[in-house]
Amino acid sequence: MGEPLRNQPAKRLVGIIGKAVSYFVMTTFALMTTLPLVWLIINSFKSTTEFRLNRVGFPHLWTTINYPGAWSLGEFDRLIGNSVIYTAGATLGIIVFSILAGFAFAKIKSKATPILYGSFVLGILLSIQSLMVPLFIEVSQLDRLLTDLFKVLGILKSGQVNFFYDSRFGVLLIYIGSGLPTAIYLSTEYVKGIPYALVEAARIDGASYFKIFRWIILPMSVPIATTVAILNITGIWNEFALINILVSKTSLKSLPLGIFKFTSNLTADWGKQFAALVIGMLPMLLFYIGFRKQITRGVAAGAVKG
Amino acid sequence: MSRTIHSRSEERLAYWLMVLPAVFLYLLVLGFPIVISIILSVSNYNGGKMFGGQPWKIVGFQQYARLVHDVWFWAALKNNVYIVLVSVFGQLPLGFIFAYLIYRRIVKFGDFWQAVLYMPNIISVIVIGIMWAIIFSPNGLIAEIMNRIYSNAISHKIIQIFNTAGGFNITDDLVAKLIHASGPVASQTFTDPPMELKQFLLTYSPAQLETLKGDLVNLLGTKWTPTFLSKPDVAMLPVLFVILWCWTGLYLILFLANMQKIDVQIIEAARIDGASEGQVMGRVVLPSLSGVLVNAAILCIAGSLNSFALIFAMTRGGPARVTEVLSIYMYDSAFFGTPNYPLANAIALSIVILSMVLIVITKLVEKRFGGRE
Repeated sequence: MGEPLRNQPAKRLVGIIGKAVSYFVMTTFALMTTLPLVWLIINSFKSTTEFRLNRVGFPHLWTTINYPGAWSLGEFDRLIGNSVIYTAGATLGIIVFSILAGFAFAKIKSKATPILYGSFVLGILLSIQSLMVPLFIEVSQLDRLLTDLFKVLGILKSGQVNFFYDSRFGVLLIYIGSGLPTAIYLSTEYVKGIPYALVEAARIDGASYFKIFRWIILPMSVPIATTVAILNITGIWNEFALINILVSKTSLKSLPLGIFKFTSNLTADWGKQFAALVIGMLPMLLFYIGFRKQITRGVAAGAVKG
Repeated sequence: MSRTIHSRSEERLAYWLMVLPAVFLYLLVLGFPIVISIILSVSNYNGGKMFGGQPWKIVGFQQYARLVHDVWFWAALKNNVYIVLVSVFGQLPLGFIFAYLIYRRIVKFGDFWQAVLYMPNIISVIVIGIMWAIIFSPNGLIAEIMNRIYSNAISHKIIQIFNTAGGFNITDDLVAKLIHASGPVASQTFTDPPMELKQFLLTYSPAQLETLKGDLVNLLGTKWTPTFLSKPDVAMLPVLFVILWCWTGLYLILFLANMQKIDVQIIEAARIDGASEGQVMGRVVLPSLSGVLVNAAILCIAGSLNSFALIFAMTRGGPARVTEVLSIYMYDSAFFGTPNYPLANAIALSIVILSMVLIVITKLVEKRFGGRE
């Protein structure tokens, strides 16, 4: 009994030092995280001339002049519009197709399930980014094949169809496909948890599988649909590697792609460049501020590999 | 009887109708590209129509043989290995320690730290890459701060030298002191520093003393130019730093969420029995997270081998290809200059195979040393 008591002050000292070190390390890392972002935002309110003279501190003259300039030069309304279409469309597609497949894998018996489901789970490990070259060849060849087909059928007289390459439809297909492995894994495991008795009862009442999906499974899958959405929204919104090779038309570019082209074309106009970068990170920053709890939970639930 | 047959076929139809859209899309993004990359990596196809265009044929494993002797391939692979190492031995331990500090309430305001450290994960890596490229550039934050520190130091010295000399009093002694204070800069600026500097000083009038001091700071102050992203032997360091900066928060979130599933009573019991925080971390929390750690390591490895956009935006593989990673080498082989599709596809397959091998190794390590869940 005497032993621990004698050790108390020493232990407390160790505890206090440990706490101090912990706070110091935490604060350092947090400052390292935020200061560059703050610096970026502050600089977007300086004119380019002022940035040349005053690179670190607050602006002597706050100006919003960079924003309208960057906005119109970068055509950000179009970029953001495209990003909304890609993100919303692909997220919705991933949710619907993954819960459909998850329902079939979990609740309808078939000999194909082990192979199909297994290959989806395997796909979680593969990153589609590393396949961007064959993917590019695939989509451009598919368009060429379709062009030839349409010409033979007499639907197309001249020119080229852009069904997969340089098309919103193509981008959506690729984005949905690349989100599916993880989403199908999550959905299948989730639907497995829904009591089979519910499905059976509906079957006995004569409901078709699609009716069961629509009226029983889908309403019960809202939590997993939310997780899948949260996991995919930031990922698709920020995606760069794939859309960079899938799209060459300016009118189809997404926000990250637009920012990349914008800043590489405009190296000397610092003010506009900073404004463009801030515009580039603002939508997701707001999304994060609004849905931080859900995002954090979704990420923890969705980080499944292998 | 007829009802069961009817319902079986209906069941089968429903199954395939539900599964096929996903299977089709999966084949489109993963199945066909893998087949294409296998075929093209051993072919001599180089653009144009694949079917009914210029004829191309299978020519064998030349590209793989080339990669074995390709210095650029090994240089890029080395950079990927650096990224894997920084991720597995940097992001994971840091994320784990941060998560532990928050979980055990050693630091307060856990929610706040979590929110801040995860923030880089939701921002586009393009924005992050460009931002850091600017920060590390000669126009950036770091160069500016360093230059201010340097010029503050020298301006201090200059003011002191003039004070001891009693104002605008140009003597050989003062000139010598100034040269001494400037370090190597004076001898770099002038061929005959004592002579030329004295002449320079005498072009000012006593009334211009303050201007002179300012000009001397500019003239004699050491200019600090960041060589981070332009010096081949260290250019990879900023990239690795940004990778660590960017994703540590992800693992913090992941580990914290799983720590919160641990039964609190076990930890409290250990603490009452006299275990230190370090012991609780090492013997209670770490073992119960071993499965999560392996998953995180796999996530890390897969992500590290595929890192593309961040480096593409930050350095684009430069300077002189020293920060090039496999995916950028692949990209440039296909889309930069004369396309070499067979080579690009061989690199793509190498990345896929490499990540698979590393993931299997991680799993084996877990089987051998882990499994205390």
